[in-house]
Amino acid sequence: MPNPRKPEKETVTICAYCGVGCGFKAETIGDEIVRMTPWKEGKANHGHSCVKGRFAYDYWCHPDRIKTPMIRSSIDEPWQEVSWEEAFAHAAKELRRIQSTYGRSSIGGVSSSRCTNEEIFLTTKLVRAVMGNNNIDNCARICHSPTQFGLSATVGAGAASQHFDSILQADVIMVVGANPTEGHPVFGSMMKRRIREGAKLIVIDPRRTETVESPHCRADIHLALRPGTNVAILNSIGHVIVRENRYNEQFIKSRCEWQEFEHWAELVGSDEYSPDRIGPIAGVDPEDIRRAARIYSNGPNSTIYYGLGVTEHSQGSTGVMCLGNLGLSCGMFGREGVGVNPLRGQGNVQGGSCLGSWPHVFSGYRFVTDDATRASFEAEWGVELDSEPGLRLPNMFDAALTGHFKGMYIMGEDPVQSDPNQNHIIAALRNMECVVIHDLFLNETSKYAHVFLPGSSSLEKDGTFTGAERRIGRVRQVVKPLAGYQDWEVTVKLMNAMGYDCEYAHAGEVLDELARVTPAYSGASFELLDRVGSAQWPVDTNAPEGTEVLHMEQFPRANGLGTFMLTGFVPTRERVSEKYPLLLTTGRILSQYNVGTQTRRTANSQWHPEDVLEMSAGDMQVRGLHTGDKVTVASRFGSTQLKVVESRRMNPGIIYTTFHHAESKANAVTSDLSDWATNCPEYKVTAVEVTKVTADDTSRTQASTARPEREAAELAVMEEA
Amino acid sequence: MAGSGDQPHVSGAVIELERLVEMANQIGDFFSPYPPERAREGLRNHLRTYWDPRMRGALLEHIDSGGEGLSERVVEAANLLRDAAAEKDGYYGPPKD
Repeated sequence: MPNPRKPEKETVTICAYCGVGCGFKAETIGDEIVRMTPWKEGKANHGHSCVKGRFAYDYWCHPDRIKTPMIRSSIDEPWQEVSWEEAFAHAAKELRRIQSTYGRSSIGGVSSSRCTNEEIFLTTKLVRAVMGNNNIDNCARICHSPTQFGLSATVGAGAASQHFDSILQADVIMVVGANPTEGHPVFGSMMKRRIREGAKLIVIDPRRTETVESPHCRADIHLALRPGTNVAILNSIGHVIVRENRYNEQFIKSRCEWQEFEHWAELVGSDEYSPDRIGPIAGVDPEDIRRAARIYSNGPNSTIYYGLGVTEHSQGSTGVMCLGNLGLSCGMFGREGVGVNPLRGQGNVQGGSCLGSWPHVFSGYRFVTDDATRASFEAEWGVELDSEPGLRLPNMFDAALTGHFKGMYIMGEDPVQSDPNQNHIIAALRNMECVVIHDLFLNETSKYAHVFLPGSSSLEKDGTFTGAERRIGRVRQVVKPLAGYQDWEVTVKLMNAMGYDCEYAHAGEVLDELARVTPAYSGASFELLDRVGSAQWPVDTNAPEGTEVLHMEQFPRANGLGTFMLTGFVPTRERVSEKYPLLLTTGRILSQYNVGTQTRRTANSQWHPEDVLEMSAGDMQVRGLHTGDKVTVASRFGSTQLKVVESRRMNPGIIYTTFHHAESKANAVTSDLSDWATNCPEYKVTAVEVTKVTADDTSRTQASTARPEREAAELAVMEEA
Repeated sequence: MAGSGDQPHVSGAVIELERLVEMANQIGDFFSPYPPERAREGLRNHLRTYWDPRMRGALLEHIDSGGEGLSERVVEAANLLRDAAAEKDGYYGPPKD
């Protein structure tokens, strides 16, 4: 039977989910999207797709979408629908009033990795040029900020060194704290293809993930380490490389700072990091550490892919540096098949990082304290800019609690749901006088907001995304924005209302502006992307159609050399105790995405109706638990309830859950510790105890949730970006 | 536009001291494998390029009133921030000699 719903039109665009950045054809009949099919010319996906990009797009027209701006003078009042003009005027007046009362630095903003490069860049402009400070951050703060820090420190660029196709030249694949077959499925398929062709696989992860063992995929070595011991294990691998003279002396002498290598070799080569000492600390067989080091260093082409299992720790930045150190020590940079590569969570989180949505750097990771860089932006924007770093997102909330931070613009983020220590976030928001939310849906944070500006999904706008392999591609408008404006237009109008004059005929003009002030994007334009499909930065006069592999001849550091950081292991303060004897860690499943704001509003929920707690048989037995029992998971910080299932994927003492459903409230239990360098939260390690829920517990929980502060404590769910 | 010099006064530390002290000590722990002089420089560079001036100011005020809870290394490094004449450009990578 012929398809009765033959599409009238197809528009090539990019999937809005994970950082792979698959090209899709959005097929429409009138203003209705009827199908998403993977685009064969997409250079990240080559015509492949996963069940999120392919099927989970109906959220764009979900009845929950807000289409009219709203304001209110206090969060205790109901929302009032108003015109766009009234909403902009109200927000502008309030933000300016706050600045005149509490100072220029008393407001700020946060951008979203679900928005385009152009929208993120304009948000930085709104904060830096219009608000006049550097209180601008993005959601990578709570996921991959350690990547920017750790890779910038060692190899000079906080981004993947390779393109995805590079993995087809790899002989050894090391996956650390990531589960690409679930989290980045299209890349995961390519990885499996290479494994089928004979590449060796080393996985470092507390859990026997689908990447460790599943159809077409089996790890040669799995280091099932205790959560929180990444740096110890990676240093121990370094120890074996140093002690067995497995390092690439020629590469280090020609491409790296030799003296810093010697310092590193002295540190990791010390007895402190011998496999025999680290093995028991990390819960891993010392011989497996030696085997992993030998396989990785033998290559000939060894590549590293890593995820939030590395970054979301109190030593997240140190862990990323460890990976940079290992790659450099074995000469695994500067050609296809090697490198160190973060697997980014959100569609445009690499773009958010690149485009200066940080309180300390402009686009291209250039410090705001640098006079020449600041001068280039002052010339482009026509205003004097603040020379001091601003507040990071968690510090904005900290400063709100002390009365120093009073208003913010939140583009497409939900900090109440996604950030750690939720009571703290709510108290901070309650202390602010003007919170402007720009989003598709009302969310947990909008309960504490004063202005709601309706957003547009990526299917309703023009712009660009930058995927995890640094690939800049075109996001094309498929349908008209439901609320009338694309998000970048809203940001511009807010700037105008605040007294800053600027206008753009279309999003391509914003890209032109950011290209003028961002060397790595200097060659990017809609014209180029329409012509070549997509391009990996740097795209400039040296590489007019982009760059697949970084660091071919030198590293983008002042002297062109890679370098080694001293990465001492500092155990997290979060420890198991008699009261909290288990370690909780988290991950994701194929059919859902992050906290599920989008995927839960689609039929994909049928594949994963609820989050469950995975636990080893022994841990269940001593607690008298059976699969299907409702249990309470309690930490020093709070508690939540989940259904438990027996799992062979976890070692005794370690338990695991996903966090796709708001009801799971995983963030109610996570700790308030964070990475030393970036304040990225330590989501991956929490000491907990698990007990069976009894009838008494249920009634007690119901009673306690009636109290507002208790209710507040239980709303949170952790998000990865 | 120099820093936050034109701010109307909001009294007290911008972030609770307990949290600032914890953050500063964590940074100190990272740099501890370096020789003392480089460790201090690494800390100084980090505080200078990543911390809002109000956070640095609150840390220095805390040091002036005894610096309770701060490691010695952090106190020494933070004190380097006071010498504006010795200001250096921010950088990534190992602490400079």
